[in-house]
Amino acid sequence: MANVMELVNVSKRFGSGHTAVNALSDVNFEIQQGQFVSIIGPSGSGKSTFLTIAAGLQTPTSGKVLLNGTDLATQSEKQRLQYRFDHVGFILQSSNLIPYLTVSEQFKLIDRLAHQKFQEKEMRQLLDRLDLKNLDDAYPNALSGGERQRVAIAKALYHEPDIILADEPTASLDSTRSFDVVDRLVSEAHDLNKAIIMVTHDERLITKSDVVYQIDDGKMQKLENKETVESHN
Amino acid sequence: MYLGLKEMRYEKLRYSLLTGVMVLIALVVFILAGLAGGLSQGNRLAVDQWQAKYVYLNKDANKNIMASQLTTDATNDVKGKQVANIALDSTVVRKIGSNNKIDISALGTANNSFIMPKVTSGHKVQRDNQIIISQNLKDQGIKIGDKVRLGSNDTKLTVVGSYGKSTYSIAPTMYMNLATLAKIKAAGTPVTKPLGINAIITKDSQLSGNKHNLQRLPINDFIQNLPGYSAEQTTLNTMIYFLFAMSLAIIGIFMYVLTLQKQSLFGVLKVEGIGTRHILASVVTQAAVMSVISVAIGLLITIGIGAIAPTGMPFALNYPQLGIYAISLILASILGSLLSWRTIAKINPVTAIK
Repeated sequence: MANVMELVNVSKRFGSGHTAVNALSDVNFEIQQGQFVSIIGPSGSGKSTFLTIAAGLQTPTSGKVLLNGTDLATQSEKQRLQYRFDHVGFILQSSNLIPYLTVSEQFKLIDRLAHQKFQEKEMRQLLDRLDLKNLDDAYPNALSGGERQRVAIAKALYHEPDIILADEPTASLDSTRSFDVVDRLVSEAHDLNKAIIMVTHDERLITKSDVVYQIDDGKMQKLENKETVESHN
Repeated sequence: MYLGLKEMRYEKLRYSLLTGVMVLIALVVFILAGLAGGLSQGNRLAVDQWQAKYVYLNKDANKNIMASQLTTDATNDVKGKQVANIALDSTVVRKIGSNNKIDISALGTANNSFIMPKVTSGHKVQRDNQIIISQNLKDQGIKIGDKVRLGSNDTKLTVVGSYGKSTYSIAPTMYMNLATLAKIKAAGTPVTKPLGINAIITKDSQLSGNKHNLQRLPINDFIQNLPGYSAEQTTLNTMIYFLFAMSLAIIGIFMYVLTLQKQSLFGVLKVEGIGTRHILASVVTQAAVMSVISVAIGLLITIGIGAIAPTGMPFALNYPQLGIYAISLILASILGSLLSWRTIAKINPVTAIK
């Protein structure tokens, strides 16, 4: 199967001369449709940098970032903004919901900006799948942390993105809710045939992943066997 | 748009308070405009009613009609149609048998001159010691048929007619013939011929000869030089212009502070592909909505004030001008909100992931 996203020999260097920092060195990565891929590493390892480059928020110093064959590294900031809007779903640490929009308005906003009619049926299906019933008119601050992240998942899946990027999606949740959120992400990837990348520092969450990459000091390696994470530490 | 409106709905208190401040600013702008209009009208209404084009004054009067002394034979220097001599005096009218004194502007001109107002009741001035009065004086209790005295002069004058509202130098007007006014001004001393006048008012005319040291002023130049007129108007208009700058600053600062507060949210929006353009549009929408609402409320209150303002208060609403001020206030607010543009543009979405 073809790769949805592929990073080829990607490096990102901040600063210059002897103060230069290599946040990513020669990273290779790939993900296919229907795959749930985890990226694990301690803080400062370069996983945030990886995510910002995969999202097209910044361009690599060298290498290619291919999304369905298009190289993001060569695109303008405006093109990358549009690319994120059209093709990428995001789930961020402490929920990326807009505090002054109700649950259903979070979805309506996306349709407004895309100049299209509100896809109520699509929203309803996603919210039902994620057990978010009767919450259409609730504001984010009335939801529990787990509900907020599930709404964020539904919002990320809305409009059928090519890829979903999750940045420590369980950071603000207790362990029971964390497992629930990750389980749901895994099943969305498998059931809806989506490519989902999750970045985390929590090793307990990666057991259900299809592929796990470990990142340390900007160097990334694919772990052949998930158990090796345990032995590595 | 959507984002901006939904935020206002969610943060009602915050945005209503700012709208309240904007209502006050709009109100001050409109009331000042009303006062400027009222004062302007109080000074010039009679002049506007003449529908004249040129005014001739004594060259030495420095364009000030009260300082201009001419005699009726100066008219010989002015060639044209509809030429009228005018004399005027600021004095006080008192009904005989009453102690109630009213400040007035007394204007004297020939019985048949084009600047003599058309009477709406009673009849026109036909001989000496007859006067016609403006509606404003009627409103203050003087009736057709009343005998009145002007200032400390003993001459009894008879009110024979009245015409519409008319003011000059912030006082209601009355008209009489030149001889009557000369008698009032001379206050007992014998009146000489030719009579003294202050100015010659004309429609189309030219100077010829100019043996009487005349200066021709276009009517607008004359109005600008009415005593106190441009000083009053400049003061009030300057205040109004400063209020435009204030509304720009208030909206600008408020929106800027809110933008700083929402930087992390805007960062998240940019991550999701919602760019500067959309974020700025929501901020501008909010400024536009707040200013339109506050200008509308301010206008309604001002119209209410205009309706209940006491007759003595110079207050006149000029709707086209209020419209221009309303639009200026809205534009100033929108301009103010655009000051946040750089801050929004500089928000780096990378900071939202970390």
